[in-house]
Amino acid sequence: MTPSSLLVGIIVVPLAGAVLTPVIGGKAGKHAWTWATTVMVATSVIAAALVNQVARTGPFSAYLGGWERPYGIELRFDEFSASVAVICLLGLLAIVFSQKYAAKELPPARLGTYYTLLLLNLTGMLGFVVTGDLFNLFVFMEILSLSGYALVAISGERTAEMAAFKYLVMGAVSSLLVLFAIGLLYALTGSLNMADISDRLTGSAEVPAMLALALLTTGFMVKAALFPLHVWLPDAHAIAPSPVSAILSGLVVKTGLLGMIRVYQIYYGAKVLDLSSLNTVLVWLGAISIVMGAFFAIFQEDIKMMLAYSTISNIGYIVMGLGLASQYGIIGATVHIFNHALIKATLFLGAGALIYQTGYRNLSDLRGVGRSMPFTTAAISVGAISIVGMPPTAGFLCKWYIALGAVQAGHPVFGVALVFGALFIFVYYIRMVNSFYFQAPIHPEILEVKEAPLTMLAPVLILAALCLAMGLLGRIPLSFIEPAVTRLLGTLGG
Amino acid sequence: MIVHLWQNIDYVASVVLFCIGLYCVITKNNLIKKFIGLNIMETSVFAFIVALGVVDGGDAPIMGAGARAPFTNPIPQALILTGIVVAVSTTALALSLVIRIYQHCGTIEADELREME
Repeated sequence: MTPSSLLVGIIVVPLAGAVLTPVIGGKAGKHAWTWATTVMVATSVIAAALVNQVARTGPFSAYLGGWERPYGIELRFDEFSASVAVICLLGLLAIVFSQKYAAKELPPARLGTYYTLLLLNLTGMLGFVVTGDLFNLFVFMEILSLSGYALVAISGERTAEMAAFKYLVMGAVSSLLVLFAIGLLYALTGSLNMADISDRLTGSAEVPAMLALALLTTGFMVKAALFPLHVWLPDAHAIAPSPVSAILSGLVVKTGLLGMIRVYQIYYGAKVLDLSSLNTVLVWLGAISIVMGAFFAIFQEDIKMMLAYSTISNIGYIVMGLGLASQYGIIGATVHIFNHALIKATLFLGAGALIYQTGYRNLSDLRGVGRSMPFTTAAISVGAISIVGMPPTAGFLCKWYIALGAVQAGHPVFGVALVFGALFIFVYYIRMVNSFYFQAPIHPEILEVKEAPLTMLAPVLILAALCLAMGLLGRIPLSFIEPAVTRLLGTLGG
Repeated sequence: MIVHLWQNIDYVASVVLFCIGLYCVITKNNLIKKFIGLNIMETSVFAFIVALGVVDGGDAPIMGAGARAPFTNPIPQALILTGIVVAVSTTALALSLVIRIYQHCGTIEADELREME
């Protein structure tokens, strides 16, 4: 297989899989799970081959229909696109987890639809990270957003539909902001290819370029749920079925951030604007996001609601790292995109397993569950210490790098904000762990609950193991992403 | 300034429509009206991008015996066809959600829904 056919394959395989799911899945969606798992295994193999390729040879492209840049549509795979690996991994594990969960929580008639939407959502994300064409980026963003809105509403409950509608309105407005910006950039440069836009934007009019930048930033930050654009997130992420929450919180919000990295690639390369004021705004909003997310999370009783607010904090970390615009800051932010996806999926899937087995979702109702479900709660605890950022787990490394980035950028005060935020986060996660292990149960029957079934336990344990492994083997992702960040900042320093 | 705006009246109109749509999305209480606002925004963006490709006196870019330069740019129109498909699917999804919300709650006024939560 050549690299270009692999690049096409990573979009076509899950897309074809999604379209065929209703046909192959059968009437009641009996075979839908088997089929979706098979498709995701195949996609993961392709993703592994692509990541291996980029590690050996550096970035590469595929031109659809044989039309070279800037005429045709380019698929571009660089180090940032290596997030396909984590998208495939999480997608696969969430689908495996869904077997029992979806069968219990969803009406049987919706099972086929559920797996179709899940695969479409993953296709949208995979396409989003590998495309080199700005309009293509928009189309993939819409695929993943629309399937995301539908997945939030899939349980058919009243609250789920209202959360989905709120998410849809915010999401559609942000998509339109991005589309408007794409129109502006097309008017300025006459091109839709991102690398080509970056070349041609040099020396163009400043005001429209600035307007496009503002629209793109706002649009992507709504998708990423940065404070104060986060209002849609807690309901949507908490009410969706747990595997969907893991995908939404771990991956879908990250597409906003990866989109922001693409915007930086365009604008840093073009040198048309001084981005330092934008960066200052992002660093501040990031810092406020960390504190506000943690602050709201402290008052949540519902375990999934708490996890949803914690996502806002972590988005704050990543945005702050990007805004610092220093080598360490951006490396830390990028690696945190990967690691937070692993950590948050551990937590959401673990919470899903608890809810599935006990039927409770409030922290006080879940007291004592650590004694009856030791493996799941152990995995959640690993996720919790990891998200707080204690060594030797995955979360520590990125936060350490972002703090170093703050010092490197000459703003050590943000490093302090980061540590302060981590303390806040520690408070509410310790509350969770405390209620699992050390508090007397309110409901005595919770001690009789059995451990989660294997299809649920295995994904949670694999993810928890990865949270630990990513802390111990942290050098690998850091050194992997370094050349891309050096290239990005090299165009900046000039 | 005014002359400049008058010369770009198509862009000005799109921006004004965009703002009207955004105003509706933010202030309207009825979910369907909110969504009509969103549709106005969509239309304004589409109009803006299609207007980018227009050339005064331009011909349809179809090669053949009668083809005569200048041609209008076909790419924005092709983009917007895709954009319209996206907009239609968003509208379909949103309206079906509104129907479900009405069936469950008996109202589609945002403030009454908030009270029910």
